[in-house]
Amino acid sequence: MREWMKSLIGARGNDSAIAAGQPRRCELLLLAVVGLYMLAGATVLYLMHPASGLMAPAGAVLGTVAFITVSLIWQVAGFRGDPFLLPLVAVFSATSLVFLYRINPFYAWRQFVWLLAGLVVLLLITFLLHNYRVLADYKYIYALAGAVALLLPIFFGVEQGGARSWLNLGGFQVQPSEFVKILLVLFLASFLSENRLVLSEGTRSVLGIGLPGPQEWGPLLGMWGISLLLLIFQKDLGTALIYFGTFLAMVYISTARVAYVFFGLALFLAGAAGSFQLFGHVRQRVEVWLNPWRYVETSGYQVVQSLFALAAGGMTGAGLGAGHPGYIPAVHTDFIFAAITEETGLLGGMAVIVLYMFFVYRGFRIALSARNDFAALLAAGLTALMGLQAFIIIGGVTKLLPLTGVTLPFVSYGGSSLVANFIILGLLLVISHEAGEYHAN
Amino acid sequence: MQTNIRRLAYLLLSCFILLSFYLGYINVLQGPALAADPHNRRLAAYEAKIVRGVIYDREGVPLAENKRENNTLRRIYPQGADAAQVVGFVSPRYGRTGLESAYDRYLLGMTDEDKVKALLDRLLGRQQAGDNVVVTLDARLQHLAMQLLAGRKGAVAALDPRTGDILALASSPSFDPNNIDQVTGEKNGKPVTVYDQLQSNSAAPLLDRAAQGAYPPGSVFKLVTGSGALAANPAVAQKVIDCRGGLTVNGFYLKDNAVHGVVNFRQALTVSCNTYFATLGLDLGKEKFYQTAVDFGLTKNPWDSGPGSIPEIAYRPGSLTPAAQMSRPQLASSAIGQGHVLVNPLQMALIAAAIANRGVIMRPHLLAEVRAPGGAVMLRDKPQPWLTATTPEAAREMTADMVAVVNSGTGRAAAIPGVTVAGKTGTAENPAGAPHAWFTGFAPAGSPRVAVAVVLENAGYGGEAAAPVAREIMRAALTVPGI
Repeated sequence: MREWMKSLIGARGNDSAIAAGQPRRCELLLLAVVGLYMLAGATVLYLMHPASGLMAPAGAVLGTVAFITVSLIWQVAGFRGDPFLLPLVAVFSATSLVFLYRINPFYAWRQFVWLLAGLVVLLLITFLLHNYRVLADYKYIYALAGAVALLLPIFFGVEQGGARSWLNLGGFQVQPSEFVKILLVLFLASFLSENRLVLSEGTRSVLGIGLPGPQEWGPLLGMWGISLLLLIFQKDLGTALIYFGTFLAMVYISTARVAYVFFGLALFLAGAAGSFQLFGHVRQRVEVWLNPWRYVETSGYQVVQSLFALAAGGMTGAGLGAGHPGYIPAVHTDFIFAAITEETGLLGGMAVIVLYMFFVYRGFRIALSARNDFAALLAAGLTALMGLQAFIIIGGVTKLLPLTGVTLPFVSYGGSSLVANFIILGLLLVISHEAGEYHAN
Repeated sequence: MQTNIRRLAYLLLSCFILLSFYLGYINVLQGPALAADPHNRRLAAYEAKIVRGVIYDREGVPLAENKRENNTLRRIYPQGADAAQVVGFVSPRYGRTGLESAYDRYLLGMTDEDKVKALLDRLLGRQQAGDNVVVTLDARLQHLAMQLLAGRKGAVAALDPRTGDILALASSPSFDPNNIDQVTGEKNGKPVTVYDQLQSNSAAPLLDRAAQGAYPPGSVFKLVTGSGALAANPAVAQKVIDCRGGLTVNGFYLKDNAVHGVVNFRQALTVSCNTYFATLGLDLGKEKFYQTAVDFGLTKNPWDSGPGSIPEIAYRPGSLTPAAQMSRPQLASSAIGQGHVLVNPLQMALIAAAIANRGVIMRPHLLAEVRAPGGAVMLRDKPQPWLTATTPEAAREMTADMVAVVNSGTGRAAAIPGVTVAGKTGTAENPAGAPHAWFTGFAPAGSPRVAVAVVLENAGYGGEAAAPVAREIMRAALTVPGI
């Protein structure tokens, strides 16, 4: 059994080498701590409403067991992936479940089911995709699949919160753009790793500056343009911003040419100015961002309520259950950070930010230790994607940036987003597993 | 490529650091303003859960308390109109005013020490209650002042010169804060409340005349001119002038109330000789005269202590033409409290308190104690000096002269049998009609325990209209426990 699992996951080292590494023991210990954290939250929730029974503590125990099971399976299989990412995600999930239960238990149960699905997806990826480098071969399939997935909601989609980016699949709704962002990174990673040298040095010279030919930058620009256009039609500005930021980050990593970044930023500013002129919903977002108090009863209501919540907790917070998250519309999705900060205070909000920093740090460490360009680009791209998304939504609810409706990774309510993020986690882990195997041998 | 990844990592991590600093800015620096924003529903939600603290006077008489009616708590003001402007009111329609607003964080139990208590209350399922506030006002004195002012426009301010405790701050006409929200009629389809009527009342009953009035002080301001002259040159006490019933300054004739003949400093104050004090002001010079007024706090707000501090009451500082723009005729008329000088009654009481307290003005305040619902004292006000207005020598000389005013001069109506009273009358010319009647003084002159200022609008001579009011206030104040 164990040998079979080891062969599945592609563990090549012998048993003693696995024992010497022991990243899983560290992971298990951390998961146990996270379990205590989740149980403490669930206990408070139970004490707040004892009448609702022991459902919350039971869920916390079950959730912890699920995470620990994943870790144990990896241990048996000799998986050498990064030991910190799963506990970090467990903290996010625990925070998510506790606050969703506190806002509305219904959301927590649905999210719980999605979490279990996400963990299964994670296991599948770590077992079946250990040879992830084959992914580099299908770049145009990603581009095509991504474009189709983004097109679907325009014709068959349903509108939620002003954005037309959901597909109705019978019992539940799926947001394709959450999955397309992974396809985008896969495409860019494979394309850029293949054409890296050409792009950075150029095939021709214009005024002494080396420029690549259209066959090199054409597909890139095309992919980027299509995704942006689609997003404008879907009115999903936050996702467009994340796609674009990730695109720039990956181009910079592969070419080290700041000129591309500036060119991209110029394009972005032009696009932003254009959509400000063209689209009422973009103009409204910006005006609300500049002065929400003028629209406090209408379009600025949400962000003003969010600011109240962020300030209400003071340093240590109102305490779990003692805040007023219900005052903020969409608090369970985009604005969950405001609810967390109100009830756990500035310290709690900072802790969430620091945890994302830690996730980003581990992600880039994986990228640095990757054994080839494709892996490094993929890991860095996925990390940048995750970091940007967290930054953009926290920046949005704190009014540092204009508000754009994206989820806080692993924390906001939303099945598509959660499963997509678990896929990202899985990809990062298989890359780090391979690097770990290499260093162990 | 490794370098590029590192650079990108630094960039992204710096974004997060920026984000956490910004979050701290929102939470800490913007926090108080966001918490107090009228669009924030948290305060109202919090108030609905908590029993608001009681405001007591210095002897434990409630000025604002809660009464249970049909199972809901209603805020009531047992003293009614007596202290309406200073205590203020809580209204679901019009928000909070006065001390009710200034002490909100105590009354609602929102201070840092209260947080632990609130947590305990919540865990034990107890009713949350705010802290009680004891103020320095005396309900009896406040009531007496309102009785004495009844039917007239005017104000009384009384305080303890040794501590700065404000004993009375009465303003007439007043209003009953208990029925402020009551709808009395309709106008253009909108309901008209008692508050709406008060706001449009031309007698301005909502205005706290005692701290926000702007009156020409007239002759009571000679206390400032006299102190300044004595502090600059103690020999002024022996200065003699021949008053011919007026004084010409740069072609401008300043008329006196009588021909006083040859008078020295004490005689001039006793009969309130304008010629004498205008001359003192001219001799002192505009810079020193202006500086003396500033030293006495004329242009300052005692509650203005930096950003973030919440003033107990709205206070309108006095005004005076700045020295650089003051002409000689203006200097002469300002020296006798006419011209462009404006003061409020509390400021005038602080001027008397400065002389009573050997030249030092204690910071005026209304807060005496904050007490937890269980009775434990959480905060007690400590008296602090505010300004040094003049020298102890000048204050001693002025005290003796003010005693002469009450014993044998214009202020005889303020005399209290068995107590030496020091005081000064004022009859302030104003464009609105008959002069405003002023009296300011303190008692007992040997070791002052109360300083008072009274103004009665358009009531004529200070010695006739205002002095008797001040006498009764001082007489009653001296029997207040702790005074």
